[in-house]
Amino acid sequence: MYRYVSMKGIVLLFLSLVIFSCNKDETTIPSDNTFKFETPSYIPKPIYEFTNNPLTQNGFELGKLLFYDPILSSDSSISCASCHFQSHAFADQNLAFSKGVNNLIGKRNSPALFNLSWNSSFMWDGGINHIETMPLAPITNHLEMNENMMHVIEKLNRNKTYREKFKTTFKIDSINDQKLFYALAQFIGNLQSFSSKYDKVRQVKTLYSSEENNGYMLFKKHCQQCHTEPLFSNFEFANNGIDSIYADKGRYLITLDPNDEGKFKIPSLRNIALTFPYMHDGRFSTLEKVIEHYSENILQVPNLDTRLRKKIQLNAKEKQELQAFLNTLTDFEFIQNKIYNKP
Amino acid sequence: MNNKLYIAFIYAMVLMTSLNSCKKDPDNNNNNNNNSATFGSVKVEFEHLWAMSGAEFKLNDTLLHPMKNEKMFFTTFKYYVSNIKFKKSDGTWWSQPESYFLVDVSNPTSLILTVNNVPTATYTEMKYTLGVDSLRNVSGAQTGALSTTNNMFWSWNSGYIMIKAEGKSPNSSTGDFALHLGGFKGANNVVTEKSTNFGGATLNVNPSATPQIHMSANPAKLWHTIEGVTTKSKIMMPGADAKQAATDFYNSFNFEHLHP
Repeated sequence: MYRYVSMKGIVLLFLSLVIFSCNKDETTIPSDNTFKFETPSYIPKPIYEFTNNPLTQNGFELGKLLFYDPILSSDSSISCASCHFQSHAFADQNLAFSKGVNNLIGKRNSPALFNLSWNSSFMWDGGINHIETMPLAPITNHLEMNENMMHVIEKLNRNKTYREKFKTTFKIDSINDQKLFYALAQFIGNLQSFSSKYDKVRQVKTLYSSEENNGYMLFKKHCQQCHTEPLFSNFEFANNGIDSIYADKGRYLITLDPNDEGKFKIPSLRNIALTFPYMHDGRFSTLEKVIEHYSENILQVPNLDTRLRKKIQLNAKEKQELQAFLNTLTDFEFIQNKIYNKP
Repeated sequence: MNNKLYIAFIYAMVLMTSLNSCKKDPDNNNNNNNNSATFGSVKVEFEHLWAMSGAEFKLNDTLLHPMKNEKMFFTTFKYYVSNIKFKKSDGTWWSQPESYFLVDVSNPTSLILTVNNVPTATYTEMKYTLGVDSLRNVSGAQTGALSTTNNMFWSWNSGYIMIKAEGKSPNSSTGDFALHLGGFKGANNVVTEKSTNFGGATLNVNPSATPQIHMSANPAKLWHTIEGVTTKSKIMMPGADAKQAATDFYNSFNFEHLHP
């Protein structure tokens, strides 16, 4: 959860002393103890820990402002939020493909954005290796924001509000791309979703219904090897037998390894009920269809993940139970959390 | 304990800490313990010669590739040089911190790298890296020569474009060519460390002189092994072709001479 640490008084004393004793324009709140997100004890250490990019409230707020601002696109029509809606766990509004600048249509389903600091790679093909450089792809892709970095930085530097906010946050007179990426990482790296019913059950604050519990058992038997708890992904790449001819070769496009044809990043199942349609191309409109695929329709292609070679076969009741469990992964607090709202 | 007293105590502790923390950091160099240390600068100049002609390589000019017999009109030619190190006569090495340079033929000042704060000494060897070390390819947002505003970072397949050569050619079916060469992993790693002993000369660094090292490279070597632009006009990602072309170009780097 998000909090300003309760020792606010002492922090303010400290702050006033820093200003007084250094006689410099130290207007930011120190990053060490005033702003942090708490995660439940069963959540592992994140991969991204803001080591070179100390987290501050100013940085988080600036990142949020940028996330919701179409200034990042070439014609100021598209922001990050244009394809990533809080109400859908920061996936698009149930579109298979999203619209970018000039009404051009993207080629893969917009992923949900949450718990990104635990991801070791980004995008459906995992081509991006760092959360800070991840926004470079949508900003510069001609089907998305169609901008170039030099121009984005020029636009931001012409804007008095941004000049002031970057100065306050990062103590720089001139905005550069590194600080833009730092600010965005402070926002998107803190989209934390750990308040679902699943989490409440783990914290012994509530109990599953018997249907949900049966679903949880089925999940543990059939799904958890790839959609591993508690993040509900092992962040690997897998071919899940949806195609025998690949219109999109997925991971192969990054590695050029024929064994990677048709492999895509295993997405987290958290908030899965909110993020339809499913798969890299949004081909399945409902969870029922996804479950049906894994139960009955997996194609035995050469690259099929070994964990899917054995038939899963669920009956109608089991399918319903599994879906009931998947619904417990929806985090309503996350999608309603005001700190992520448009500023 | 009296609450007010307690707060006052913390206040005092914090005051002491914050006063202490305002001391200026010492200068960033490797010889903090030696106050009498002095420093100088070294310039490393790269000149680009086309093929065996030895003629100056120029952008926006029609050049003939002698091996491929293809016409090439370059509009862009840039590459990374990084991690410059000098070996002292006592055998120890000095490494430049944050040592990243983008050599861009369209920008004449970028052809001369200035290495500042080199400790006064006699040096017998230089090491430099062609490309950007693997660590910086996986470390997120960078600045300066490594900024994404230089358009030398792949957005969709993270990593630096370590050599970018673009232009037009009547021999290409599309009328143009583009080599975006990089790769920092496994068999596709193009990052190469090179060295020169200045042909046996010594590099004398002190505050009153800025010695200049002249290096040369031959962009025609990009096509020494790979197919010409007639059959392959675009290489846009790490792989065997990128590795071959980068290696052939990197092999063309030569020490020319040293100005004291």
